[in-house]
Amino acid sequence: MSDLIYEVKDVHFSWPGKFPALCGVDMTIRSGEKIAVIGANGTGKSTLLHLLDGLIFPHHGHVTAFGERLLEHSLFDEQAAHRFRRRVGLVFQNADIQLFCPSVREDIAFGPLQFGVTEEEVNRRIREVAQVLDIHHLLDRVPHQLSIGEKKRVAIASVLAIDPDVYLFDEPTAGLDPLTVRHIIDFMVNANRQGKTIITATHDLHIIGEIADTVYVFGRNKRIVRGGSAESVLNDRALLESNNLIHIHRHHHDGKEHVHQHLPLEQHD
Amino acid sequence: MNKLLHKRRDFIERSLLSALAFLKDATLSEECANRKGFLQSQDPRFKTISFLAFLVTAVSLKSAVSIGTLYGLCLLLAVFSRIPLKHFLTRTLLFIPLFSLCIVLPALFSIVTPGEPVWTFHVLGINGIITRPGVDGAILFVVRIATSVSLVVLLSLTTRHSELLKVLRIFGVPQLFVLTLSMCYRYLYLFATMVENIFTAVKSRVGVVSHHRHGQKVVAWNIANTWNRTTHISEEVYLAMLSRGYTGEPRHLSAFHATPKEWFWLLCAVIICAGLLYKGDTL
Repeated sequence: MSDLIYEVKDVHFSWPGKFPALCGVDMTIRSGEKIAVIGANGTGKSTLLHLLDGLIFPHHGHVTAFGERLLEHSLFDEQAAHRFRRRVGLVFQNADIQLFCPSVREDIAFGPLQFGVTEEEVNRRIREVAQVLDIHHLLDRVPHQLSIGEKKRVAIASVLAIDPDVYLFDEPTAGLDPLTVRHIIDFMVNANRQGKTIITATHDLHIIGEIADTVYVFGRNKRIVRGGSAESVLNDRALLESNNLIHIHRHHHDGKEHVHQHLPLEQHD
Repeated sequence: MNKLLHKRRDFIERSLLSALAFLKDATLSEECANRKGFLQSQDPRFKTISFLAFLVTAVSLKSAVSIGTLYGLCLLLAVFSRIPLKHFLTRTLLFIPLFSLCIVLPALFSIVTPGEPVWTFHVLGINGIITRPGVDGAILFVVRIATSVSLVVLLSLTTRHSELLKVLRIFGVPQLFVLTLSMCYRYLYLFATMVENIFTAVKSRVGVVSHHRHGQKVVAWNIANTWNRTTHISEEVYLAMLSRGYTGEPRHLSAFHATPKEWFWLLCAVIICAGLLYKGDTL
């Protein structure tokens, strides 16, 4: 199939000196899809994104990207590495990791410059992404002086400047204020409308309805325990509860204590 | 007594936190560099070259008056660059020239520098003679140190550190080295904050006062913990670089653009230096 972007077959992976992170994962991702990978902490979501970005490689099984097997030695070749990395962009969970340059402008420019884009074009892209993400006032700032929300937007800008076909988001809304969450979701939805493939690892069920059509649930056994449409997965309360994705929530309404399961907003009555 | 004990017990923690606070303030603060002043508006390359010329001139001159003129120019530049003089003088004059005065003290006496006596004194049966060449040499040495230090501090105060590092490229320093240095600088703040947070967390659990032996243990854990986190972060940063196309040879924006104003400033600097070097020693 020409629109097949990723094919993940029986992938196993362990971080050195640690317990297994993935134990037999299978999935296929097609161009233009919105995919969410959900699961409790430590179920292998971030590891999967690292594998899809060609940063780590499976110990068993394989990942095929854009019709080619993703192998460590094939990415040693600069041209092959650039060909792949131009098409896939990962927004890391920790923006401090992603923003390693001394200024915001240089961080945004880093990716395109590595791919040999001319400085004139890089400067044009900086202006463009700064406008899209409303960060032009931050361009000459030092990354460590920014707030968490600003850092996250700059991290997204640094990937947007590459203009990849596939965006990988690792916990894009974790620890952010509601307005910044809204901006980021809007960005993801718009990118998908423009034909980009969006793959998001999260355990924030409130955003799933907007950022995903297909949802994969990762279990404690480091495997996909369920895959399906966002609606079918979010309506399966037993599945979400057994995988630590919902909990009992206790709060007050009109002076009375109110207890219910903590579900995505659209299901909260 | 209790206060003294308390102070001793928290000595390591206080020293570390003070060192971190100083590091953040002195090294990482770019408040002055972000002001709209004369030197801040100059291209960092031209500014660095002109200051290098001033430094070489200060070191080459043998007249304290000429070096003093250069020092006056440095203060004038500080004023035009909106650097608070009190802050600038405290950073430059309080410690370094004082230390240089201590170093140069023996050279005042006739035993080290013979010559025409200026002042003779008698202490504990020893005759001390301070000589004219000794005094002149000491003044020259202290003024030279004060001027050189002031020039370097002024350059670092008025230039963002990232730009200062990039200037290294014009002196032929390899890009990879400059990138590594700038990343070290970038993550200093992160690690300084991390260490501060660890101390705050320890304090919240064990209270303000801890025995100095326990304090030593905490510092050792802290060092080990920071080392582990540093290693982990460095691996992650490398992955983040790979993810955006890094293949071992980093490429960066050449963000500097020289205008006629910069060339005029450089010309002025060269004329001042040449003038001082030509006539300065006769002053």
